This record gives sequence, structure tokens and C-alpha cells, in this order.
Amino acid sequence: MLFNSLSFIVFLVVVVALYYSNLLSWNNRKRMLLFTSYVFYGLWNPPLVIILWLSTIVDWVAANNLAVEENQRKRNGWLALSMVVNLGFLGFFKYGNFLLENFTYLMNTIGVEYQAQPMDIILPMGISFYTFQTMSYTLDVYNRKAKPANTFLDFALYVTFFPQLVAGPIVRAGELIEQFYQEKKATVEQFIWGLFLFTLGLFQKVVLADSLLSDTADTVFGSKEALNFWDAWAGTLAFSGQIFFDFAGYSTCAIGIAMMLGFVLPHNFLYPYGAIGFTDFWRRWHITLSTWLRDYLYIPLGGNRLGMTRMYVALMVTMLVGGLWHGAAWTFVVWGALHGFYLVMEKLFRRKVNIKTTQWNGIFLAFLTFTLINFTWVFFRAREFSTAQIMIESMLFLHPNGILVLEYFDLLKVFILVGLLFLTHFYMRHHTVKMVSESVPNWLFSFVWAVMIFLIIIAQGSGEQFIYFQF
Amino acid sequence: MNLKKSLLITIILSLAAIGVWEVYWRSKGYFPDLDDDKFLWARTRAKVDKASSNDVVLIGSSRVLFDIQVPQWEKQTGIKPIQLANAGATPLPIFHDIVENSTFNGTIVVGVTPGLFFSTTFPQAPPWDRAASRAKFYEDQTYAQQLNYALSIPLQKTFAFISNDEEEWYDDINLKALLKTIQLPKRTAKPDMPPFYRFQDIDIDRNVRMKQKVVTDTAFANSVKTVWKFFMSVHRPPPDKEGTMAFFLKDLEKFKARGGKVILVRLPSSGFFHDLETNGLPRKDFWDVLVKKANVPAYYYSDYEKLSGFDTPEWSHLSGPDATLFTERFVNILLEDNLITNTKPN
Repeated sequence: MLFNSLSFIVFLVVVVALYYSNLLSWNNRKRMLLFTSYVFYGLWNPPLVIILWLSTIVDWVAANNLAVEENQRKRNGWLALSMVVNLGFLGFFKYGNFLLENFTYLMNTIGVEYQAQPMDIILPMGISFYTFQTMSYTLDVYNRKAKPANTFLDFALYVTFFPQLVAGPIVRAGELIEQFYQEKKATVEQFIWGLFLFTLGLFQKVVLADSLLSDTADTVFGSKEALNFWDAWAGTLAFSGQIFFDFAGYSTCAIGIAMMLGFVLPHNFLYPYGAIGFTDFWRRWHITLSTWLRDYLYIPLGGNRLGMTRMYVALMVTMLVGGLWHGAAWTFVVWGALHGFYLVMEKLFRRKVNIKTTQWNGIFLAFLTFTLINFTWVFFRAREFSTAQIMIESMLFLHPNGILVLEYFDLLKVFILVGLLFLTHFYMRHHTVKMVSESVPNWLFSFVWAVMIFLIIIAQGSGEQFIYFQF
Repeated sequence: MNLKKSLLITIILSLAAIGVWEVYWRSKGYFPDLDDDKFLWARTRAKVDKASSNDVVLIGSSRVLFDIQVPQWEKQTGIKPIQLANAGATPLPIFHDIVENSTFNGTIVVGVTPGLFFSTTFPQAPPWDRAASRAKFYEDQTYAQQLNYALSIPLQKTFAFISNDEEEWYDDINLKALLKTIQLPKRTAKPDMPPFYRFQDIDIDRNVRMKQKVVTDTAFANSVKTVWKFFMSVHRPPPDKEGTMAFFLKDLEKFKARGGKVILVRLPSSGFFHDLETNGLPRKDFWDVLVKKANVPAYYYSDYEKLSGFDTPEWSHLSGPDATLFTERFVNILLEDNLITNTKPN
């Protein structure tokens, strides 16, 4: 089920009505949330709920044994079981064809004639999100950083909680399970604020990403020929805006819906295009994934404890895995590698030069960061390296006679919208939506909210899937 | 900030804005109607899986949609035909889908618009993809999508401002379509497509009727003619007669083998389209060869006095009243020839 769909609106009304009716006890309300979360997922493809169940059961059993087992070998065994099952699902469903293609290519390269039929595999929606979430739970219990959930119901709800099930935020056990232990009810103010966030998220997705930016990005990245400088940049900036509004929109909806039920989910985006430097960017973009990778990959690889060289290697490995997490294609690996390279370069640069950020140079540095980030989005969006190559060359003005594919209106729309996005993010570096909304009069806040609702309704999106569902 | 007060003002403002928006578009002549989209097609396709050997499925291009009126057919035979034709598309992938993915063994009426039927079997070519993508959507659609569509029907039937047709008409009134009407100086060398206004209405049974405005307003009819000329001016690959026929005949054999019946029909065209079809895809080289190889009942409109002489206001489709009359006569011929079932008592 998609947040930007009629069925979800009906679903949410039913869930909220049941949740706030006095018919159910707290335990029954949690059961209702769990059941409706399975309905939320199953309405997409019912049999794939089984994978969710298996993942839930394996991690529940593994973590319970890890909590009481003292024998290290047995503990390692339980951990291995969880990792094998979760990564096995991920490997099969998400990377099966990618591995097969590369194996075939490798065989043919070394002269072994081998052809394999691609496997007809459906990618379970949000599998990367919920496997990372359940793995974090088991790893935390293994590392004695968290206790197992009190009940199976609490744990199953933690894995399956519908607001964040298919595209995050990736929530740690400590952040969510404990919220299930005591009865939760949103205050009227929280409920209304949650409703506002839900509207804001839908506005980002339906109006800004789908109605205003996606067509331009599709047109430019669909071109097989070298492009004019302005067209290439407009296409990349359009995708840059689209991916942010799409994904941040989902997270904002998720946080809003959870808040309407009285739960707090962590932030996933903090105005990333206002970041100064790449370390700052990754503290603002998909925060719950970057902290996951930091805690469960970068730090176990040594982090910054084993010298500079090891730190750079750990950083590169982490970003490469991060790239691969997004999709089973080498273009995603290059996207991760570029970010790793940027981070390493930044760290090297900062060791040599100490730049103090002021309000005067800040916007210039943020703009430089944003510009370099845009080059990475080319690899994220392009389906083939040939497309990425053409795009990069066109953006670097290497094809002065490149073709024009966009009309003036498309250029104006993208440059104005993404320009405003950048300036807003820079301004909001030290603000929150809540702070801004509290500083404006009631009527203005209501007017903006109503305009968003109006534009969502007249946009009449065709229920396009969120980009991150495929990850 | 008082959130309760804010919410109240927001609700009032939103309702007022939507109300004004609805009234404005109604004052411009819009009224609540359905969109011809993959969801409605899939909903109709589902009926094939429950259909009996007495049932009739209509496939083809837009001429089948416009010219064969579902209510008239039902009125005469007691059987409501399942309308699965698609505008601008070849019927071959739909026929293939029914043959391969259903057990239907009733009657399929196949409309042959030569320029589309004999166009291609290349999966990415628009005439193929427009139809094949709908058949694929039917297979792939989720329960959530079915539920969304069921919920959208009463809204589409209530609000005039809901217009989100897959054809992306120039006069659609969703945000994307409205933005497209903003005109700035041209930058690219792409030829400008003339405005393509919606010139038909569709109902829940996918029965399509030409808007009366096409008949009464010559300028409006001419705007549609201009679009047809624009489409035909774009370079198109030559027809793939052998490939398309071989594809169709293979499916036809399979369908016949399980007891299914096929009726071919060539519906009227005039003016520019008639000339284009007569010269580019001559009857003796295309239609006659197909009929001979298929060896099924076939009806070419101009062979029948009762099916001839109809006016096609924009060269390709019949007006609503004419379509009703044409259907009445066509069904009578089929009944006389004992090709379809009549469940109505005499």
C-alpha cells in the first residue's frame, strides 16, 4: 500500500479509529497494529509476508538465545543464523540476478562458455529496510547493547510497524520497542502536528517529486545522445530534487503517521542540500542508514581507531556497501565509491587546511558540496554507464553541440525549484519545521497547509511508487 | 501557535478552495466522468476470466471503442459484450493475452484498423506497447491497486475536476496538464503536437461515445483532424504484414482449437484516413489476405449496404447516434448469420 493512495487514506482512518476507540486494551491495540501492518504489506503481494514472518521468527529466537547463552561459540552460531537468514533473503531476492549476470560475464571473460537464464524473482518491497532493522536488533543483543523485546508481539510490531516498514526510517530496537511497552496516545497537539507532517510528506512526493520534477529527469536520462550543458544540468538537478522530495517525503509521512498514533520515529533527513562538506551531508541524508552503516560496518572495520590508512579503507568499504545496498547494479557501487572518495578527500583536506565556516563562506561551501553531490546522482539515476558518461561529459561542457531536449519552461521550473530547495536547506541548517511554524501567525501556517492540501488534490498523482521502495 | 485553531482554518480553507475549483471547472463545461486507464481496462479484463462460451469480447483499436456500442449490443442480444479495445493500439497482444492467459472460448470480435493491426510485433513500438502494457498490468496489479481503483470510481463520478486520463489530453485539468498549457518561446527542434482535446466519454463498461461537440462544432472536429495529420506526419516504419499475420494466425489456431470463435470486422473511415488506408494498405493486399488465411467470418463495412454511408466527423470514428445505429445493424447481421447468441426472447 502506498501512502499516496486512496486505499491508504481509508486504511489510516480505520486504524486511527480503532486505535483511539475504547474497545481495545493496549495489548489488543498492539495486535491490531500488527495485523493491520501485515494487511498494509500483504495488499501488495500476500505471499511475501511469509519472508517477513521468517525474518521475524529467526531474529526473535536468535536474540532470545543470545541474551541467555554464555558459550561464545554458541552465541556466534545464533548470530550467524540470523545473519545467514537475513543476508540470504537479501542476497537471493535483491542480488540473485546481479550475481548471476556477473558470474556469467566472468566465465565468458575467462573463456568458459556459460549462459544462464535470468531468474524471475520479485523483489519484496522494503526488504533492505526491514532486514537491516532486524539485523540491528540481533547485533545489539549479541553485543549486549540491548535486551530482547519483552514479548513476541512487541518484537513483531517493531519489525512490521507499518509507517516505517517499507522505506524506513530504519529504527533501532532501543528507539521503538520500548515505546510499545507502555500505552501510547498522542495528545491533540501531537496528533494535529502528525497530520501536518503527513500532509507535508505527501506534498513533497505527489506535487514536488512526481508532478514537477520526475518528467524532466526522465526526459534527460532517457536521452541516448550527448546533451546540451543546460539540459544535462537541469536533468541532474531535477533528479536531485526528485529523489530528495520522494524519499524525505516518505520519511516525513512515516514520522507524521507514527506521531498521530503517539510514537516517535527518528529524523531521517535534516536539510541535506544545505550541508557543508560530505561528512555533514551524511549526517543529514538518510541518517538512519548512515548511522546503521557507521555502527555495524565502519566501526567494526576499525573506524578511526587503527590509523589513517585503515580508516580510509573502512570508509571506502562502508560507502561501497552503502552503494550496493541501494541497488544491484555497478552504477550504485560507483555512486557509493564517489561518496567514499569525497569523504576521504575531505578528511585529507581538513588535515592540511583548517577552514573556519562563517556565514559568508558557508553558502559558497554548501553550494560546492551540493554541486559535487549532483555528479554522484548521475550514477544513481543512470541505468547504464554509457548514459552516465554522456551526462557527466555534457555537464562538463564537453559537448557544446549537444542536443536540446528541454523547453524553456522545464529549465525555468527546475532551476527555480531546485534553487529554492538549496536556499531553503541552507537556511534551515539550524532550524526545524516546528521552529519556523511557531514563528509565523496562525493564519499563515493554515494558509500554507491548505495550499499544500489543495495542490495534492489537484495534482491527482497516479499513485506512483516511492523510489526507495525498490531498495 | 494554536494547532487546533490552525487545523480548523486549514479545513475551512481547503474545502472552500476545492469547492471553488469544482464550480469553476463545471462552469467551463466539465462534468464528472471516468478516465480510460489501465485500471478500468484491467477491471474489464477480469470479466473475461468469468465469461462463458456465449459471451462476446471486443478487441481492436479506437474504432471498436467508438463504433460498437455496448448497451445497444446488450439490448439486442441480452449479452453485454466485454469491451477491451484500446485507442491507438494493435489488438494482437490482447488477443494473445486472452488465448494464453484465460480459458475463454466464446466469441472475440477483432476490429481491424489496417494501420495498427498490420503495424508491428515489436514490443517497444507504441501500437504494441499501449495494448501489451495493459495486459501486463492486469497480470501484475496488486490488491491495493484494485482497492484504490474501486475507491476512485465514486470520486470520479462525483467531481468534475478529477481528470487524469492516460492519454494526457490537452484539456485535462490535473496539475501536470495545467502546467503543460503554459507557453514560452520554443527551445527544442521537437515539432509541437497540436492540442489534442478529449473528444469522447467512457463509462464503467468501457463504452465510449463521441462527444456531440465533434458533430456540431466544425472547429473542434478539425482540431482532432489536425492531430491525426500530425501523427501520420511522423516517420513510421513500414507495416509488418507477414510478422503480424503470422503472430495472429498462431494464436487464432490455438483459440479455435479450444472452441473459440473469431469475427473480423473492418469499421468505417473517410477522408484523409480512408485515402491513407486505401493507398498505403490496400484491401486486396492486407484485409483480403488476412481473411483468407484466418478462415473466419469477416465483415468489411463497405460490402454491406446497411453498414455503409455513415459519416465519420473526424475521419475515423462514428458519432454517438450513428454508432448506436451501426451497432444495431451489425448485430442484426451477426444474428442473421447465426454467429452470436441471442438470449433475449423473441
